[in-house]
Amino acid sequence: MSISTLFADYSQFRHRHPDGDVPHNPYKWAMAIDLDACSGCNACAVACYAENNLPVVGREKFANGQAMHWMRIERYWDQDGREFPDQGARYLPMLCQQCEAAPCETVCPVGATNHTPDGLNSQVYNRCIGSRYCSSNCPYKVRYFNWWDYPTTDNVWPAEMNLQLNPDVTVRGKGVMEKCTFCMQRLRAAESDAKTQGRLVRDGEVQTACQQACPTSAISFGNLVDPESRVHKQWRAQQVELDKHEQAKDEEAGGSDLRGYRIYEWLAPYPSIMYMERVREIAI
Amino acid sequence: MNNDFNRRDFLKVLGWGGTAVALSGCGNGMVESGKETVVSYVETNDYMIPSVSVYFNSTCAQCDAGCSIMGRVREGRVLKLEGNPNSAINRGKTCGLGQAGVQHHYNPDRVREPLLRTGDQGEAISWDKAYALIAEKLKGVSGEEIAFLTGGVSGHLKVLMGNYLDSFGCKNHFVYEAIAPAVVRAANKKSYGVEMPRFNINKAKVVLSFGADFLGAWVSPVNFSQQYAQFRKGVNGQRGVLIQVESKMTITGANADRWLAVRPGTEGILALGIIHALGTATGEVAAAVKGYDKERVSRDTGVSAEQIDKIAALLKARTPSLVLVGSAAEGYAHGSQNAAAINLLNQVLGNVGKTVEGAAIVPFPQMMPATGNTVALNKLNKGLNEGKYKVLFSYATNPVFTAPGAMKFKDNMAKAGFKVAFAHYLDETAMQADLVLPLDSALEDWGTQVPEYMAEGAQINIQQPLMEKLHPGTRGMGDILLALIKQRGAADYKNFDDFYAYLRSAVLHNKGALGGSGVADDDIFWNETLSKGIVKLPGAAHASLSARSGASGLSLPAPAAIDAQYPLQLIPHVNASLRDGRNTNQPWLQESPDPLTTIVWDSWVEIHPKKAAELGIVEGDIVEVTGKNGSVKVQAYVFPGIHPDAISIPIGRGHEAMGRYAKGYGVNPFQILDLVYDKETGELALHETRVKISKTGQRVIVVKDEGPVGGNQEGQKIVPRMTTDKVNLSKEI
Repeated sequence: MSISTLFADYSQFRHRHPDGDVPHNPYKWAMAIDLDACSGCNACAVACYAENNLPVVGREKFANGQAMHWMRIERYWDQDGREFPDQGARYLPMLCQQCEAAPCETVCPVGATNHTPDGLNSQVYNRCIGSRYCSSNCPYKVRYFNWWDYPTTDNVWPAEMNLQLNPDVTVRGKGVMEKCTFCMQRLRAAESDAKTQGRLVRDGEVQTACQQACPTSAISFGNLVDPESRVHKQWRAQQVELDKHEQAKDEEAGGSDLRGYRIYEWLAPYPSIMYMERVREIAI
Repeated sequence: MNNDFNRRDFLKVLGWGGTAVALSGCGNGMVESGKETVVSYVETNDYMIPSVSVYFNSTCAQCDAGCSIMGRVREGRVLKLEGNPNSAINRGKTCGLGQAGVQHHYNPDRVREPLLRTGDQGEAISWDKAYALIAEKLKGVSGEEIAFLTGGVSGHLKVLMGNYLDSFGCKNHFVYEAIAPAVVRAANKKSYGVEMPRFNINKAKVVLSFGADFLGAWVSPVNFSQQYAQFRKGVNGQRGVLIQVESKMTITGANADRWLAVRPGTEGILALGIIHALGTATGEVAAAVKGYDKERVSRDTGVSAEQIDKIAALLKARTPSLVLVGSAAEGYAHGSQNAAAINLLNQVLGNVGKTVEGAAIVPFPQMMPATGNTVALNKLNKGLNEGKYKVLFSYATNPVFTAPGAMKFKDNMAKAGFKVAFAHYLDETAMQADLVLPLDSALEDWGTQVPEYMAEGAQINIQQPLMEKLHPGTRGMGDILLALIKQRGAADYKNFDDFYAYLRSAVLHNKGALGGSGVADDDIFWNETLSKGIVKLPGAAHASLSARSGASGLSLPAPAAIDAQYPLQLIPHVNASLRDGRNTNQPWLQESPDPLTTIVWDSWVEIHPKKAAELGIVEGDIVEVTGKNGSVKVQAYVFPGIHPDAISIPIGRGHEAMGRYAKGYGVNPFQILDLVYDKETGELALHETRVKISKTGQRVIVVKDEGPVGGNQEGQKIVPRMTTDKVNLSKEI
């Protein structure tokens, strides 16, 4: 690297939430989660542990709020004062929403978290200094800090368990922030395979670990700018648009028959995950 | 193979014997010599490139549902398990329990050497010495003095086990699966003619489930979950409706359109009430439900008359429907009657033949899964107590942990002369053994597996090593059985060096029936079989269902009166990831929050808010749950999804042994169960234990995933919900 490259202006290469001039091209990874199919079974969360080298922190650290589950299932009850929750619980798989205008990105003092060209909110472990500003600015509480050096902590990866670690994913040390990457290692492999073959990644060619495990296929994942992708079709059918923070669903007077929504839409972080509302039968 | 008699014997050796042998063409193909080098499938081959993963197919052994898996193997290590899309059972999907299968394989607490007990000490010995010891202990012992206890087993392992016991003339194979639906099997047999029919959830417009946790831990949850997703999408935008009836909310109940907290034990009464409300029954069925008018049923069950009418109207309007009977309904002294009444509802609704169908049959009875529960264990326990058994073998079951404490199984087991445990961990049962033989993990071992619940078409699952053995001192269960059977001088087996050779010969010998009739080359067929990981049996017959109503024999007791001394009913809950506790030493499962309470790493007792207020109990209070057979101290969790007259403690935790991630976490409710049995089958009535609850004065912070406001959205639109009249599913992709 020469001195001249060091001083070059790289702002033209910096990625941000795309507007008319700089569209997502050729990839924008996005997700759709059907909450009417999701049963809250936790298979996605365990699959994420297996894929992404997540440490098991144990009871004490879990009690201290130090669990490292990139994917977690939130469970809510109706607050209607009835004796029993007779319409069941409400489950929500919560993971990094890969926001287009991510609140976490702007507060990082060292630029360790930023936007990638394919629309991911990335986390550069080597650059992270552990200020944890990003975590406090995340409205979804999906950023996880390494309070401990898990690789050297007793019973996290004792002998033999360490052999299971995924070599495609960094094992994080103490003092860095981490979060869901949309299984970036799988995306990168698929993207570069496709590039070598002179084509784009086909829909269904790459799956995230949570999507792959999901027994009810509630999670779909793909390239939002590919009009043939399932996720694109779902977003379009639900009339959810990536770069708006007021959707057709909310504007329709008297309620809409659309199920698609994004969490904390009004904060305008432009999440890349569309949820589809849970439905309940009225005839019973 | 000179005469037919020999041939039949020979088929029995290979597992294809029995009444319904479907061998193609006699006499085609001799047995392989069996003498060949076992080349591990994971030895580096030219298609293995460093840093590129290769997938190998096998079968998940975390439970008995028989999901097919693909193991991701890189640089000789298995890293992750994915579902095999070609299996009709799981179609590429896995549950959390299945995902954790790698932690069974890499577990740091696995047994690595044969261990011999001398007093309180365990001494590592060689396999030769271990085998010699078994031979010595078996010398002069008759078949009646041997007992072989296992969990659910199937496939060629079961064949070898059976043939081994036959060599002694021993009939004492006891199958004990602690949480198996034994009563439901028997009731299904009576109602439908088969123990386990196929359930078409995806074809039903309404599913009415009486405590069948089919999305969680019941029978074949990954298969049912996929069907459930199709059921929810429905046909032409008409979404399937799920009604769940149970006294303690399961994950299936948490996904129901209507969850009904029925008074414990009155599930059958509600089923008869619905038949009555339908008003379509005639003859003996009408006679059987006479008197079950909705007012009375409402009084007995706690479900409102209006609700009963609504259910009946819905079931009438939307057909076909499906009625399921699960563990919550069978766990009573009248469990068989409950199940029969619920199955009767299915018949009245005309669902048999539509959403309840005969499953495809694997035509090899020797390989069919052996099933059983407490009846078998009680028989063994009695024999042990009488000192009948000189040698006891134990495999894939942990009765010292799961048998009700009052059975005193641990004490009785000590009366057996010599106890051999085949084990992955030093669990509670292995700790009582004289000789512990360490097993290969499920990802290192060979085998075949036949699932009890057959989804579509008949299939035999192949289990094969996904990597080299981690520990040189472990052995495959098949290899051990083969070694033991050779000790018996069985000439039939002398040609098989190991279980692999046996399995290969067995499969190739019956190539035609296994879909290989067009493949001339044995090697090609064998390699294809391994690469698929599933043997689909072409043209398998389907069981035909009989429709016997059994209505005339129905007699349901009135709801039990509340016991003054022990006023609460204890529901031991089967959690989807911990099940009967055999997987508790896998830390991902310990840290995977319970779907209902979000609690991790510990046990809890669920109490309805009303009851908790009455008793002055708040979340985190350590309470003592006392029954006739002892007590446990456990943290309280105030939980709305439970009947106020019941409390629930999850099963699977409270290990006193097994390993670092299991031992010392939580309590074991099995220990305090009352010995009440189902009157017809004699199986343990798991929900019949009466307890009282008292505060100890201690309080802890409950370690759980939900925040301090519990499941409250605080007015935020995090998980909104729509009603069916507001949504148009037919427009969706």
